[in-house]
Amino acid sequence: MDTGFSYDNFEKCITEIVNVSNKLLDGWKIESKQDCDAKFMTKKHSTYLDGLDGSKTLVTFEYHVAYSLSYGVPVLCFNIWRQDGTMLTIEEYWSLNQSLKDSNMHDTLTQMDHPVLCRPFLTLHPCKTSEFFQPFLENSKNPVVSWLSVVGSFVHLQLLEDYIKCC
Amino acid sequence: MASKLSYVQAVSSVNPSFWNKLTEIKLNVDKLSESPRPVWGYFTLLSKTTVNQPLIELDSTSFNSDFNGQNMYVPFKGKVINKNTVEDFKECNKQDVINTEGKCLCENIVSGEAIKNPVLLNSFLLLTFADLKKYHYYYWFSFPVPSGLVLEKFSAKIISEEFNSDRLKQLYVAFQALDAMNKTYFIIENQNDKLLVHSLSSKLSELTAESTTDIYFAFFNISMDNKSIGSQLRNYAALILHHCPFLKGKTQKFVAVSVTRHGSEVGLDTSVIYNLLLPDVSTDKFDSWVGWEKNERDKMGPRVANMKNTLDPKIIAENSVYLNLKLMKWRIVPDINLEVTENAKCLLIGAGTLGCAVARCLLGWGVRNITFADNGYVSHSNPVRQSLYTYEDALSMKAKSEVAPKNLEKIFPGVNAKGVHICIPMPGHSVGESMLKQTVEAVQVLTDLIKDHDIIFLLTDSRESRWLPTLLGCYHKKIVINSALGFDSYLVMRHGCSSDTSNNPELVQDIEGYKIIDGDNLGCYFCNDVTAPGDSMKNRTLDQQCTVTRPGVAQIAGALAVELAVSILQHEKRIKAPAFYKISSKAEDLDPEIENQCILGLIPHSIRGFLSSFNQMLPATMKYDKCVACSDVILNEYKEKGIDFLLKVFDSSKHLEDVTKLTEMLADFDMDEILEFSDEEIE
Ligand SMILES: [Zn+2]
Repeated sequence: MDTGFSYDNFEKCITEIVNVSNKLLDGWKIESKQDCDAKFMTKKHSTYLDGLDGSKTLVTFEYHVAYSLSYGVPVLCFNIWRQDGTMLTIEEYWSLNQSLKDSNMHDTLTQMDHPVLCRPFLTLHPCKTSEFFQPFLENSKNPVVSWLSVVGSFVHLQLLEDYIKCC
Repeated sequence: MASKLSYVQAVSSVNPSFWNKLTEIKLNVDKLSESPRPVWGYFTLLSKTTVNQPLIELDSTSFNSDFNGQNMYVPFKGKVINKNTVEDFKECNKQDVINTEGKCLCENIVSGEAIKNPVLLNSFLLLTFADLKKYHYYYWFSFPVPSGLVLEKFSAKIISEEFNSDRLKQLYVAFQALDAMNKTYFIIENQNDKLLVHSLSSKLSELTAESTTDIYFAFFNISMDNKSIGSQLRNYAALILHHCPFLKGKTQKFVAVSVTRHGSEVGLDTSVIYNLLLPDVSTDKFDSWVGWEKNERDKMGPRVANMKNTLDPKIIAENSVYLNLKLMKWRIVPDINLEVTENAKCLLIGAGTLGCAVARCLLGWGVRNITFADNGYVSHSNPVRQSLYTYEDALSMKAKSEVAPKNLEKIFPGVNAKGVHICIPMPGHSVGESMLKQTVEAVQVLTDLIKDHDIIFLLTDSRESRWLPTLLGCYHKKIVINSALGFDSYLVMRHGCSSDTSNNPELVQDIEGYKIIDGDNLGCYFCNDVTAPGDSMKNRTLDQQCTVTRPGVAQIAGALAVELAVSILQHEKRIKAPAFYKISSKAEDLDPEIENQCILGLIPHSIRGFLSSFNQMLPATMKYDKCVACSDVILNEYKEKGIDFLLKVFDSSKHLEDVTKLTEMLADFDMDEILEFSDEEIE
């Protein structure tokens, strides 16, 4: 899909993000798969998720921001696991995510193959991404930051103020 | 006044990729070896604000020889001992295990190895047992520290009370300039109000009793608050005491380093300076070590990670397949009952072009139980049209009943596929004495198969071979889906079932312009076929043995057969779901009630398609009350005489005509009984 946002634009955006992150020790890093030029950016983040019964679950998120060739937009993929490494399913995460309660789970969250790693990840639905992404293309110097700052908050990803400065 | 120090122990957090890598190494490299393998643990440099536990992380890169923490992690250096049996894991003496590790740590302190490489003070041990069949991982972390070393605190203050912010900024830059290994334990020297940072190896040996007043022993504090200290401080103290014995019984300044971020600034402002009293002990007294991690129930005991859903590739495949179906449910048809489809047991009679097409489409619907019944062998002409076979299968001339389930499992290991090699007895195919036993057996096998399954697909290439399964399917009230092919035409239909009450089939006019045939009263393949001999618009071009067909026909018909079966499963009456047909041209559009017969739409009785015109129609026919396969006459004869009746039919198909008086019936044949949705499509 031609969104006017090329892979090269994407790589420039994530490089910028990682540079800021390195100064702030924020944890974003660039990764790639063997024998593959496509780069993506990842970050791990541990937190507690609140269950409806008042319980707290310690989990680690691993976020991946990769470029989807077919949609021509960045994709936010993530996996979540407990302390022992067992992963949360979509349904389990849904039941522990208060910020998404009002929407229809499967309009928002889905499982999809990572654009580069080709393994299943949880993801925000890519159709929604194009919708969210389009306005940032014209108004932001770093549309990946603008987009992440909006969609990240739905899935426990908070972006520091410092990133917004480079938009 | 001296007071006790409060310690925190690292808390293990294992990433799924660690278990993945451990498995890979166990299977491909270590095999039966239980020798310890070095692993890295990662501790984030920046204090976490979201979690108040000191998490040490392990992932697949923990097995790398070099530590790759960029500037974001402080290392822990550990060993994983992967036991071969759960008994070894449970029964090995845990005190011995941790003491051995402690001894090793002590040796590194005494030899000075830990000065060169201070990360050795951050030792840990991971005892595991990997049940690789179940993907269960038993594990227990320990972070050994000597139990006999007691440190007392005289005072503690935030570092910014002693040094101004410029000093602290310099200190942070110097700290970040250290490599990851030396960030764990290092020395800060206050020289004329300048703070210098030294690695242990460059400074420790120079220290004297006089020079330590300007020295701060710094260590990276894993604690998330500034009130407690990571338990490894005791290992640091042991090292200091051994190499600077003049400090025994003295107080000494330490800096518990923590890195925090305020706005856009990262620094060491929250680090704490401690005045600690070092005990008068020597390293050879450290014979008892502590530090096993408590489990999730806060007990001293191992944990178990059940990684089946995460790591078992078969489970991952299965979940992905069902996720696809769930997406259909979540986003398109919320009321669809996926379990009923998933659990439907399907018997495919015939494993040729149609059988392969049906099987693959069933996989798409997540159907788990698929049985093939076939008597053929894979030949060279098969693979290009029959999607479950390959050239290799043809070379070895394997039985289709053997290859089809195997290859289906290759496509999706979660399927429960079976094959039965069986010649289906046919009317007019004389049995004779020599074949009698075999034939009776075949009838028994087929009967059992039909009883054991929910949906019977008739996918053979001859009319005669469909007769027995049609009768048995009807008798046992199974969903029977029949598909037959012509050169460029196809028929897909569902059979009516035998009615419980022998009431006369009645047409009930329910919706204006339409009539309804109850599922009970729908015809079978033979009802249609027999009643229209020699009529080319009916089935005569279909189902001739060795029919040459356009290659796409079987794919279309196979897919339709599955979709029809799935629609039936979604109707509350299942096999008894009625079929509608249009009787008045006034009824222009599909009535919504018909269109929404089940959540997937309407459920036709039959689908006839013609590739020459790319046209399709949906005729519905009544059960023929003297049908050779499904009529009450035949069913009753079978009920009473069983195998004897069948054997008579196999000997001569004329017996069927005797029972049903077919010849008489042909005279009564009424064209109007062929009914369909669209009047224009049939003349
Ligand atoms: Zn019939």
